[in-house]
Amino acid sequence: MQTSATGPAVHHPPRGERLDLTWLKPIGMIGLSVSNFIYRILTLGIYDFWARTEVRKRLWSAIRLNGEPLAYTGTGKELFLGFLIVFGVVLLPILIVSVAAILIFGPNSLTANLIQAAIYIAVFMLVGVAIYRAQRYRLLRTNWRGIRGNLQGSSTPYAMTYFLTLFLIPLTLGWIVPWRATKLQSMITNNVRFGSMPFAFRGNSGLLYGPYAVLWFGILVLFIVASAISGMVIGSIQGDLGPGLEPPDDVKQLYGLTILGVFALAYLFYLFMSAWYRARTINHFAQCTHFDSASFNGTATGIGLLWIDITNLAILIAGSLVVVALLSAIAALIFMIVHALVPATAMSPAEIQAYAAAMAAPVLVFIGALSFTLLLPVTQARSMGYLIDHLALEGSVDVNKIAQSTADPMATGEGLAQAFDIDAF
Amino acid sequence: MHSDLFHQRFEARYTDGRTAGSRDVMVELTERGILIPQDGSAAPLIWPFGALATAEPLTDHAIDALVTYSYQPGATLFVPGPRFARALATLAPQLTASAERWRAASPWLWGAAATVAIGVFVWLAGLSPAHTIANMLPDKARTAMGRQVVKSMTDGRAVCRDDAGLKALEKLTGRLVAATHDGKAFNVVVIDWGLVNAFATPGENVVLTSGLLDAANGPDEVAGVLAHEMGHGLELHPETGLVRAMGLAAATELLMGGSGTLSNLGIVLLQLSYSRDAEGEADDHAIAILRDARISSKGFARFFERMSKTDGSAKRLGKGGLGGMLSSHPDTDERLAKVLRSGGYAATPALSEREWAALKSICRTSLPSAKAGHSE
Repeated sequence: MQTSATGPAVHHPPRGERLDLTWLKPIGMIGLSVSNFIYRILTLGIYDFWARTEVRKRLWSAIRLNGEPLAYTGTGKELFLGFLIVFGVVLLPILIVSVAAILIFGPNSLTANLIQAAIYIAVFMLVGVAIYRAQRYRLLRTNWRGIRGNLQGSSTPYAMTYFLTLFLIPLTLGWIVPWRATKLQSMITNNVRFGSMPFAFRGNSGLLYGPYAVLWFGILVLFIVASAISGMVIGSIQGDLGPGLEPPDDVKQLYGLTILGVFALAYLFYLFMSAWYRARTINHFAQCTHFDSASFNGTATGIGLLWIDITNLAILIAGSLVVVALLSAIAALIFMIVHALVPATAMSPAEIQAYAAAMAAPVLVFIGALSFTLLLPVTQARSMGYLIDHLALEGSVDVNKIAQSTADPMATGEGLAQAFDIDAF
Repeated sequence: MHSDLFHQRFEARYTDGRTAGSRDVMVELTERGILIPQDGSAAPLIWPFGALATAEPLTDHAIDALVTYSYQPGATLFVPGPRFARALATLAPQLTASAERWRAASPWLWGAAATVAIGVFVWLAGLSPAHTIANMLPDKARTAMGRQVVKSMTDGRAVCRDDAGLKALEKLTGRLVAATHDGKAFNVVVIDWGLVNAFATPGENVVLTSGLLDAANGPDEVAGVLAHEMGHGLELHPETGLVRAMGLAAATELLMGGSGTLSNLGIVLLQLSYSRDAEGEADDHAIAILRDARISSKGFARFFERMSKTDGSAKRLGKGGLGGMLSSHPDTDERLAKVLRSGGYAATPALSEREWAALKSICRTSLPSAKAGHSE
C-alpha cells in the first residue's frame, strides 16, 4: 500500500507524448516536375489538377510526426470539379456581365465603369472566402494516423475582416498590417481541429510591432538614403560642369548606372528586411499556436527565407531556360523538315516562314508561359522543407485522446482560391 | 506469381482510425493480401491488394509506405523501409506513380487529341465557328456592335454632313442597296479623315473616309468600293472578325484576369484585315451589285489598280479595311482580272456630274463626332 502511494503513482506518467516534427527531404522531385510538365502539355493543361495533387502527396508525406508521415488524401478530380464550379458560378458570370456592360453602355461609359468597379469589389470580397475555404479543404484532406484535420466555422467573418481591413492598410500608412495579419491568423488557427482536438491561438500582435517599426522606418530611411546618394551623384556632375550645361553622353550613362545600382542595392536591403519581418511573423505565430499541452516553436530567419526565395527564383528561371532552349531546337528542326519537304515553287521562303510562325505561335506561347512552372514542385519542396525544418512542436500531446473528426468532408476543393491565384502549394 | 515476395514479414505501425494512437505490429505479405495481426485472440485482418491505397504513389525512390484500405476508412498501416514498398509495387502495380499518372491523364490525352483533331478539321474544311456565331447574333446585337464601332472609329473626327453631299450619298447608297436584293438597309457615313480607306462595320454600316473621296476619279470608283464593303457586310465579315477578336480577348481576359481588352472594338476593326477568301467573296458581291445596279465595274477596277501600286498613294492606306484588301495579297492581279472580266453590260454613271461634285464636298459641313453619335 505504502509503496504504491509513494512510488511511481505520485509522479503521474505524462499523459501525452512528445511529437517530433521533421522534414524528410522528398527524392525524385525533378523527375516528378518533368513528368507533370509533359502530361500538362499533352492534355492542354487539364492535367494540372492531378499534377498539383501528386506534388502535394509528396510534400505532405515528407512531413513526419514521430517518423510517421502526414497523408494528403485529396484528388485531382476534386480540384478539377472545384475549378469547374467556380468557373461556372463566378468567372463566367463576371466575364459575361463585363462584356455585356461594355456592349450595352459602351466602352469607358460611366455605367460600364461602375459595373466594372462593382465586380472588382465583389472579387476582393471573395478573396477571403477563397483563402478560408482552401484552408478547410486542405485540412480535411490532411491525415495523420488516419485522423483528419478540419477548419470549422463560416468563412464570412474571415472574409469580411480580410476585406474591410484591406482598405485600412493605406489609410493607416501600413500600421494596421501586424494587427491584421495576427487577427486573420488567429481566426483560422482557433477554428483548426485535428480530429476532435482543437488548436488555439494565444497571443496578440503586440510583439510584432517592434519588428514592424524597424521595417517601416527602415524602408523610409532606405528610400531617403538612396535618393540622397542619387541626388549627390547628379549634383556632383552638375557642379563640375556649372549650371545649364549638359554632361557628355558617356558620363550620363555612367551616372545612370550608378543610380540604378544604388536603387538595386536598396531593393536588396528591402528584400532582406521584409524577409526578416516575415521570419519574425512566422516564429511569433508558431509560438502563439497551441495544441493540447504543446506549442510550436519557430526558428526561421530572414537570411534563410531570403536565400530560399532567391535560389527558388534562380531554379525557376533555369527551368524556363531549359524549356525555351529545347523548344527552339524543336522549332528549328520542324522548320528544316518543312523546308526540305515543301517544293521550292509552291511557296516562297518568306511565305513558308510566315506560315510556320503563324502555326507555331500559339503552341510556343502556351509552352513558354508554362515553362516557368517546370521546376515549381522543386521550389515548393524547398520552401516547405525550410518551414518544417524551422518549426518544432514542444510539450506533449495525448494522442489517444484524439478521436476522428465527425465533420462532413467537402466534396470539391478550393476552386475559388485557384481561380484568384492565391495558392502557395 | 510472385511467390518469392509472399510470407515476408515487416515491422509496421497500425492505427485503427478511431484515435490517433498507434501500435507496433508485424505484418505479412500473403496471396490474399497484407495480413495484419490483431491484439489478443481477435482474428487477423487481411487487406487485399486490389483495394489498397498509398499516401503517395509508389516510386523506385520510396523509402516507406503508408497504406490504407478502402473498406476500413481511417485505418492506416505505416511500413518503414524500401523493401516493403518495392514488394507492394510488384503485388499492387496500380499503386505505382506511372500507373496513377496514366490513369488520371489518359482520358484527357484522348480529349486533347480529339480537340486538336477537330481544330485541324475545322481549319482544313474551312469552317469558321466565329462566322457561325456571327450568323446567330440577333440584329439588335449587330446594330449595337456597329454603333459602338462607328462611334470609336469616328472618335475625335468629324462626321461629314453637307446637305447636297448627303443627298448624293443617299442616292448612290440606295441604288446599290436596291441591287443587293437582300432588303438590308445600309447606312453609309463619311468621316473627315485624310486616310484613303473604307470600312465595313457590323450591322450594315460602311464608313468612308474623305481621303478616299478625294483620291477617287469619279463616282463609279466610289460605287465600286462601296459595293465591295457592302459585300463584306452581307457576308457578316465584320461581325465574324469581331466575334473572333472578342473571343480571343475574352479568353485573354479570363486567363490574365481582365485588362479591358474588350473596350477597344473600333481599334480592333481598324486593325482587322480579311482573308483572301473573304476578299474574294466581297469582290463577287461587288461585281453582282454593280451589274444589277447598271454601274460599270471599270471604275472599281481602275481604283483597285491605282491603289494597289506601291507608289505614294497606296502608302496613305491604313492597315485594316480597304488597306488590308490591297496590301500584301499576292493575288491582286488575279482579282483585278476577274473584276475587269465582269464588264460588258450597259451602264450609266453612278452619279451625275453635279451630284458627284456635291459628294466630293460633303465635308464642307460637318458635325463633331460625339454629337453625331448621340443623335443616332
